[in-house]
Amino acid sequence: MYDLNKTYVMTGVVVRVDPNPNHLQIFFAPLNDARTQVLRDNKNEPVVWALEMEPAAVVARDRITVNNFPRGTILSVGLHPLRNGLPAGGRGKNGLFKCPADTPPTPGKHCDSVKGSTSHGHGVLSKPTGPVPPPKTK
Amino acid sequence: MGRRIFKVLRFALTAACFVATSCATQQSNVAQQSSVGRGAPDPLQVDVIVGSEGKGMFTGAGVPPDNMPIFAARDGATPPGVEPLPTDIFSTKDFYKDRSLWSDNRYYRCNSPVGLEQIWGAYEVPLIGDDPPRTAAWGFCDRDYPRKEIVSPYAFSTAKDHYAALLKEARDRGGPTVYTQATLPNWSGRYLRQRAKTATWFHGAALQVPTYISLLTPEYQKRFVQQMYHYSGSNAAQWPGSYCWPEGFMRRFAQYGGARVNLVMTPELILDIRNAAKTLTTQIHIGREFNEEGVVPRLGPDVPQWFGETIGFWDGEALITWTSNIQGWISHGGFEFSNKLQSIEIYTPRKDAGGRLIGLKTEVVLYDPEAFVEPLRIVQNLDRLTDVTEPFPIMECIPQSFPVDGHTTPMSPGQTFQYTVPDIFGRPWAQIWERHHEKGMARPKEPRNRFGL
Repeated sequence: MYDLNKTYVMTGVVVRVDPNPNHLQIFFAPLNDARTQVLRDNKNEPVVWALEMEPAAVVARDRITVNNFPRGTILSVGLHPLRNGLPAGGRGKNGLFKCPADTPPTPGKHCDSVKGSTSHGHGVLSKPTGPVPPPKTK
Repeated sequence: MGRRIFKVLRFALTAACFVATSCATQQSNVAQQSSVGRGAPDPLQVDVIVGSEGKGMFTGAGVPPDNMPIFAARDGATPPGVEPLPTDIFSTKDFYKDRSLWSDNRYYRCNSPVGLEQIWGAYEVPLIGDDPPRTAAWGFCDRDYPRKEIVSPYAFSTAKDHYAALLKEARDRGGPTVYTQATLPNWSGRYLRQRAKTATWFHGAALQVPTYISLLTPEYQKRFVQQMYHYSGSNAAQWPGSYCWPEGFMRRFAQYGGARVNLVMTPELILDIRNAAKTLTTQIHIGREFNEEGVVPRLGPDVPQWFGETIGFWDGEALITWTSNIQGWISHGGFEFSNKLQSIEIYTPRKDAGGRLIGLKTEVVLYDPEAFVEPLRIVQNLDRLTDVTEPFPIMECIPQSFPVDGHTTPMSPGQTFQYTVPDIFGRPWAQIWERHHEKGMARPKEPRNRFGL
């Protein structure tokens, strides 16, 4: 399902956290390189990626929770994308950082560069294997 | 906060019978105790409902041969002495614009919440008539249930304070009571909750919609009227159980959902297991304490649970519980509630003259500062079933119906259709309504962040 040979590092804005007991999911809208707007499709709707993680109770130990990642939270994460090109990925053992409230990184940077950001398990952000291509439409 | 002491003595309720509503004698226990937080007189028991109701007072599936629908007027008629509004929930083009009418019984044609829910035939006997919206039935405008019988009679504003006060009472008596398996009250077994339409206000049949929404904050009033509109004006009910979505905490108390109860008792852990479209399990951890460091008290990780997490203690034969960390949701026909909902529940035995257990009484006080303007109380009786031998079924809901063009639609194996994945934690029922049935309405805009999300 997920291509473990690829790692994307993405910064985006939380749309929803689904605290699923088997795999918590964060749905997020990636930010543009300028970190000023979320990416949108040709209907001007936000492009939303699904980020699959470990069980909700497990990632709660790293303070990845509904309460700690409300809608609008800016985060950066490494993920392994779906092989079929649809906008979803598994976190695997990649780092995840949360920016301070309403404080996006500077252009091209990620939350780990922002003063006051917090780390949520698995250490540093991974080195990306390449840029994030535009997602396929469903 | 001051605390009123309830002297729990048997007496007949003589006041608070609204207008023409018939009142039965208050059914209070003869508990000879004083408590700041339990055992207040039971809420008023009425013997009529507001209507309309296609199956009259009948409870359960099927239509009885002598079925007597309850309504004040139908098929385009108006109840005597009632001046209809020019626009009501059946005829409106935009219920959001009618907010000034939401507190007028006539806006709902004096139907109760369940009256609206059943009017297109959800419970098998429609009263919508042949030419809706003109022909939708009316309930009785002169019937209602007193609001003061719904709100908590106790002086607590939080579940935490309520629980602490009850625990202090138990300690002052030398408790909490600690049982062994040998001395534990023998409540294990099966129960059927009393399901009459008049058994509790929460069944939604005994009160007018404006009384119901007076319990709610403005946002949750809007959500409730939205639900009522989609039972009546658009005929597009979205019941979570229809789709095998979660049933949610409040489903434990709904008229049909959660009515069959199985209790499994041990000194350390009690299981209260109920069945709706899914099995609803409450785990009562005796003697435990909540971690109160987070947004709401909890036992486990900071993950909301569909039925919350529950601690409890015994005070003699009373089992007192506190549930928190509940996932916000809806019970159809009832209010939506938030992740801040918490409950205090008191289970006490009901015995016959010979001291034999015949059932339990559950007194439930609900706290949700986001959804309610003040705490609410539900009192329900469970009747013990002694002749049940088959195992309690564990419900695993298999989806058979799906939202198709905004309507709940049964689908057969092999059928293919277009499906929009719901955002389960974003009021999925409302997403369907708003996408398919509210085009052109002036729905209040949700606040957006700097990225337009």
